Amino acid sequence: MKTKTSPGKIILEVVSVIIAITFITPIIWALAVSLKYEGMQISNTFQWFAPPYTLNNYPDIIRGTSVPYWLFNSLFLAVLSVLMTLLLSSMAAFAIAKLKFKGSGAMYMYFLMGLMVPGEATIVPLFITVNGLNLIDSYGGMLFPGIAGSMNLIIMITFFKGIPDELIEAAHIDGAGNLNIFFNVILPLSKTVLVTVGIFSFLGSWNNYLWPLLCAMSEGMYTLPIGIPTLLSTYTTDYVIPMTANMVASLPAIILYLIFEKQIVQGVALSGIKG
Amino acid sequence: MTKAKAQRQARETATAFGFLIPFTLFYTVFTIWPVIQGAIVSFHKWGIMGRQKFSGLANYAKMMKDRFFWESLGNTTKFTIITVPMLIILAVSLALLANRKSRLQKMYRVCYYMPNVLSVSVVSFLTIYMGSPYMGFVNGLLHTLGAPNSFEPLWLKDPNLVWFTICWITAWWTVGFSMMLYLSALQEISPEIYEAADIDGATKTRQLFNITLPLLKPTTFLVLLLQIIACYKVFGQIYMITKGGPGTVTRPLIQYIYETAFTKNDFGYAAAMSYALFLILVILSVIQTAVQRRSEA
Repeated sequence: MKTKTSPGKIILEVVSVIIAITFITPIIWALAVSLKYEGMQISNTFQWFAPPYTLNNYPDIIRGTSVPYWLFNSLFLAVLSVLMTLLLSSMAAFAIAKLKFKGSGAMYMYFLMGLMVPGEATIVPLFITVNGLNLIDSYGGMLFPGIAGSMNLIIMITFFKGIPDELIEAAHIDGAGNLNIFFNVILPLSKTVLVTVGIFSFLGSWNNYLWPLLCAMSEGMYTLPIGIPTLLSTYTTDYVIPMTANMVASLPAIILYLIFEKQIVQGVALSGIKG
Repeated sequence: MTKAKAQRQARETATAFGFLIPFTLFYTVFTIWPVIQGAIVSFHKWGIMGRQKFSGLANYAKMMKDRFFWESLGNTTKFTIITVPMLIILAVSLALLANRKSRLQKMYRVCYYMPNVLSVSVVSFLTIYMGSPYMGFVNGLLHTLGAPNSFEPLWLKDPNLVWFTICWITAWWTVGFSMMLYLSALQEISPEIYEAADIDGATKTRQLFNITLPLLKPTTFLVLLLQIIACYKVFGQIYMITKGGPGTVTRPLIQYIYETAFTKNDFGYAAAMSYALFLILVILSVIQTAVQRRSEA
């Protein structure tokens, strides 16, 4: 196919660019505001984006607000959530996909049921359950409800089923036990699916709002999404400090997205198929 | 021989359960048990300190007569009805734009999906700061572009405009996900179909309406149901942007459930309303699964 430059093509290109700019303008604006000096007077819109810039707001909010605690909690919970999700789901997926035992089909059906359970609609009894376990306002309480999800498990089962049984048989003949096979055969072959599920768990935990809102009671347990709105009431007239906090909450997710764009696209397609 | 086989079978079963136990434990306690617990709680008068007394169907009866329950369910439904069609049209358009051969193709995809990685707090925060009068970005831009100074739309306070604001920012925030589903569907359409259409002299517009859009139908069904389900769970952005206001005109069902439990300390009633929502969502997911099975077969 030849690429001719017809007027139609140019119009579509211009429209695509305008939409792309519109889509990222709020993010660029937040970034620009976070680089402004506090107390700047803005008389027209373009001044938001114009220099002078400063990086001082970032150390300022680290020193002057609770943002570093929230940042730590967000990071700590996201990393733990990734590790536990990957470990638990891949173990269970291995058993369902590759081990032969009575009740395998029944267990699979039991896990499928979870796809029908919308977390938001069970948030009140979940709170009662976690409260009964004495885990409200603790890292365990924040973490545990998110680490054993059906979707991740099913994505992994589907992937593991595609690994040829011959590889496992060969390892058996060499005298390897199932634990050995799991760590040395299955996991090394599953890097793509582990990365995809891992990124989604990270972003899910990092951006989670409703559950931490209920579970984190003391300010020291807040994550960034819970803590940031409390800054809004403290800084009502100046945008600079809250916007800097916004960027602290967004930059890790944006950077992760830019690095792992391909895996995220794959993950969306996967979750759409199994949806 | 059979004994050895049986022994191996038993060992395999034991190993399997070893691998399954950790996941099953967390899954059962934090996903499945709350569903059962929710039913139990909804039949009781229940406060933060626990069970007070059995009340049968009283919570459900109260729900049927509660004006605020119906109002908030109506708000959630209104949000869904406005947002979903908008989202689907936007998602298809963006996918078509980002699927064209272009040197900027990659950049389009990255930009259109980018808002999706922001947290709901950041999205709400940005909306508040961009939409406020006098100091906000949007009105500032309108004035810079020549709108009269007296023109000062209240994006966050006007009962009609605020719906517009909430639905649009939700579309902006979440459309990337649906767009990606459309993009992967578009890439599965064989180029030969278009080549044949070219030979037959069909214009690009006709190809779009007679080939591309009909072939995207299964994806549209999927996106439609996924987005309806997602919209019925709406809470964060409305709660942070309007607090459900002005008054209660934008309060979604989940916010009402949340307030009933945590400010009115009526967990029993909150659980009953959660069950109503649960039922709606389960019916929608059953439809979704059925539709998907059919389109895959």
